[in-house]
Amino acid sequence: MDKFSFKDVLVTVAGLFITVFIAWVLITATGNNPSEVAKYLYEGGFKGTRNIANSLYQATPLILTAVATLVSFRVGMFNIGINGSMYVGALYAGWAGYRFTGLGHFSHVTLCIAIGMFVGAAWMLLPALLRVYAGVSEIISTIILNFVAVLFVSYMANGPFRADPIAPATPRILETAELKQIFPNSQFNTGFFIAVFVAILAHFVLNKTTFGYELRSGGDGLVGMYPSRFSSYLGIPSDRSAITGMLISGALGGLAGAIEVLGAVRYFFQELEFNQGFDGILIGILGKLEPIGAIIASLFYGAIKNGGFYVDYKTDVAREIIIVLISILIFFVSAQKIVKGLEKYPIVKKLDSIFSRKKM
Amino acid sequence: MNKEIAIDLKNITKAYPGVVANKNVDFQVYKGEIHALVGENGAGKSTLMKILYGIEQPDEGEIFVNGSSEVISKVETAINLGIGMVHQEFTLVPSFTAPENIGLGQEPKNNRGLVDWKGLNNAVMDIAKKYGFEVDPGLKMIDASVGVQQRTEILKTLYRNANILILDEPTAVLTPQETDELFTVIRTLVDEGKTVIFITHKLREVMEIADRVTVMRAGEVQGVSETGNTSITELASQMVGREVFLQVKKDEAQPTEKILDVQDLWVHDARGLLAVKGIDLDIKKGEIVGIAGVEGNGQTELVEALTGLRKASKGKVMYLDEDIASSSPKNIRRKKIAHIPEDRTNTGLNTQLSIWENLIGNSYFRKPLSSRGIFNLKKVGEHANKLREDFDIRAPNVSLKVKSLSGGNQQKVVVARELSEDPSLTIASQPTRGVDIGNIEAIHEQLVQMRDEGGAVLLVSAELDEVMAVADRVGVMYEGQIVKWVNPKEVDQAQMGLYMAGVKD
Ligand SMILES: Nc1ncnc2c1ncn2[C@@H]1O[C@H](COP(=O)(O)OP(=O)(O)O)[C@@H](O)[C@H]1O
Ligand SMILES: [Mg+2]
Repeated sequence: MDKFSFKDVLVTVAGLFITVFIAWVLITATGNNPSEVAKYLYEGGFKGTRNIANSLYQATPLILTAVATLVSFRVGMFNIGINGSMYVGALYAGWAGYRFTGLGHFSHVTLCIAIGMFVGAAWMLLPALLRVYAGVSEIISTIILNFVAVLFVSYMANGPFRADPIAPATPRILETAELKQIFPNSQFNTGFFIAVFVAILAHFVLNKTTFGYELRSGGDGLVGMYPSRFSSYLGIPSDRSAITGMLISGALGGLAGAIEVLGAVRYFFQELEFNQGFDGILIGILGKLEPIGAIIASLFYGAIKNGGFYVDYKTDVAREIIIVLISILIFFVSAQKIVKGLEKYPIVKKLDSIFSRKKM
Repeated sequence: MNKEIAIDLKNITKAYPGVVANKNVDFQVYKGEIHALVGENGAGKSTLMKILYGIEQPDEGEIFVNGSSEVISKVETAINLGIGMVHQEFTLVPSFTAPENIGLGQEPKNNRGLVDWKGLNNAVMDIAKKYGFEVDPGLKMIDASVGVQQRTEILKTLYRNANILILDEPTAVLTPQETDELFTVIRTLVDEGKTVIFITHKLREVMEIADRVTVMRAGEVQGVSETGNTSITELASQMVGREVFLQVKKDEAQPTEKILDVQDLWVHDARGLLAVKGIDLDIKKGEIVGIAGVEGNGQTELVEALTGLRKASKGKVMYLDEDIASSSPKNIRRKKIAHIPEDRTNTGLNTQLSIWENLIGNSYFRKPLSSRGIFNLKKVGEHANKLREDFDIRAPNVSLKVKSLSGGNQQKVVVARELSEDPSLTIASQPTRGVDIGNIEAIHEQLVQMRDEGGAVLLVSAELDEVMAVADRVGVMYEGQIVKWVNPKEVDQAQMGLYMAGVKD
């Protein structure tokens, strides 16, 4: 992977400036006051315990879906189906949350999470096997499975798992299965710590273990590199790496869904809507496919997202504009060439060498 | 002699983070000449040409084209000045035919605004005919040989009216026959009034084709001479800064026991055709066995079968007392068989990974680099840095992506890794392709050292000089069979040429 360097910081800052400028123009053009929007965006993201807690709550599933994305990318597979894993993981974690009674808090939560992750991983088994043994592009199969997941969970919530005669929803999970909410009036819950822990674990496994090395040997780029001749040549079965990577990716998606249900929503209903699986792709790339980068990018994204809700609530500006802005930001941040022109200045070179990550 | 000057680069300096690629370079090319630009990998040849072609901007210096000062800030400017460049890595669309590739971006339009395919085809065929190229207008590049792809690249520049052609290491990827064909093409181009800048590090080619030669080393020009007034030895010492021995220094081999015994091996290629047809071959400890032959005569499949990357259809590969004919690469590697593959960028390396990650590919699982599956990154760093120094991999640090290294340095990463784990048998396929003289010498020395320490080496190479100089015994491969075993000291090049063409005694 590319290591973070000053150049990346510079690209990001340059991207931010351009985005702010475009935002200014857009918001003014829609007849609103940009400085007011900026104020509420900031307040919603960062001001006061409740807003901060909500920003962290927004970041929680994003950390996991971003790590899920980067794991699959770094084994050389292009998994776009994390949203699907998230849905099925949420459904079955919720099911386990009311189905198993008489368990202690810790064991019940663990069981629900394990089931959510297992189902999320199982969801990825088909595209992984199709890719490895039949050559079906995982991009196409995972995109399709996203649609299938939505239909499947809505059927289950409407049929087999339905409890409520009026609304298509499962029963509420038992108290023993709940991830605790810590602050009043916020859905922030202990799932956040699980997400951060998992991301750090992923960082460790990917970069510091032979298992991670074997997984990455056939990939580590922004392009799907499976199947890798390099791996086979070294005697590392790249088929197994590709499948394992997809399963881990799916399990993390399932975990994101499980935490949403166990920590915030507390039951599964037909209209429950996730898109963090897609946001995770952008955030994973924004974080340079590094888990630590994913945490940072998710915290940032979570704050902006929550700020967006606040702007929506306080002004006439629709919160969709925030999504537009984030997309523009990512667009520019990916545009490495912006700083190419700056490279000729000695100061930039100097700073670049200072800020570059530790060398071996 | 008062010659017109086509290209005049004055005092060019260009620095990248960590390296000065060009340092006060002066470079002059006369109109109508073939001018060779030579230097080791990383000497700065490509950088200088990219500056001339508008891909890179110099930090300092001036460019004169046909006498007038120019600022070439983009490729279009260079093209408009009549400069064309064929890059080291080709830039063709694989699913397009030659005319489609050549016309791309400058397609002639018919009166309805659509691409005039017929006009394009005719234009391309006219140029091809004028310069004596053979072109199959229906052949997609993905199915074309490297030589044909290269000719398409050259046609592309001619189609854009280039008068000054830059060919960046055009022969690195060619067989001897294709090289000869290329030289014919270059001579025709010059006869038609073009000027050619020819980059290489094969000095024999320089002497054969160039009028004048500029030698670069570490970003600086070491000398400019007419090929008539210089010698390979002189150029070589300018290139590496010391005298080089083009001969490999080695004592008589002391072969001992047999380590590999290939018996009646048959192998199919990727298209299902028979590529290896009943090969018998044995290698003893303490000797280097060479396989010579024009590329595409089954060498690739032979090596793949020996290293587990391809299943043998029939026959035995006895390694010590075990048949490894259908073993996995992993099992074969475990038995201390090293493999330097001919395809460096996809097989030998993952260029997305760092240098150290590539260097530990055959050792990451052992102590002290890792224990219980967890890396000791300090030890890994020491190991990688030691290999970097021992094998002279030119990179500021081992955390750099392999992608950013020059071809020769990439190859050194492969060689360093493969020779580092003390192999009993080393299978080296085209180990010095695209590598410069100084490093070719180093790689040859390493193979000979392997041998002297009791290792066995199988050297497969399309470079006849290489096999003849390094190997103790040579088999000539032709159409999937070894048609002749020779002692390299007892045959000459002409005889070998006949064997390589399939002529038996
Ligand atoms: N884009 C680049 N960024 C950083 N370093 C580069 C870049 N291109 C070339 N270099 C470095 O500049 C030096 C000269 O490279 P190059 O001109 O490609 O050499 P040559 O073509 O003679 O092999 C090398 O050390 C190489 O690593
Ligand atoms: Mg070069």
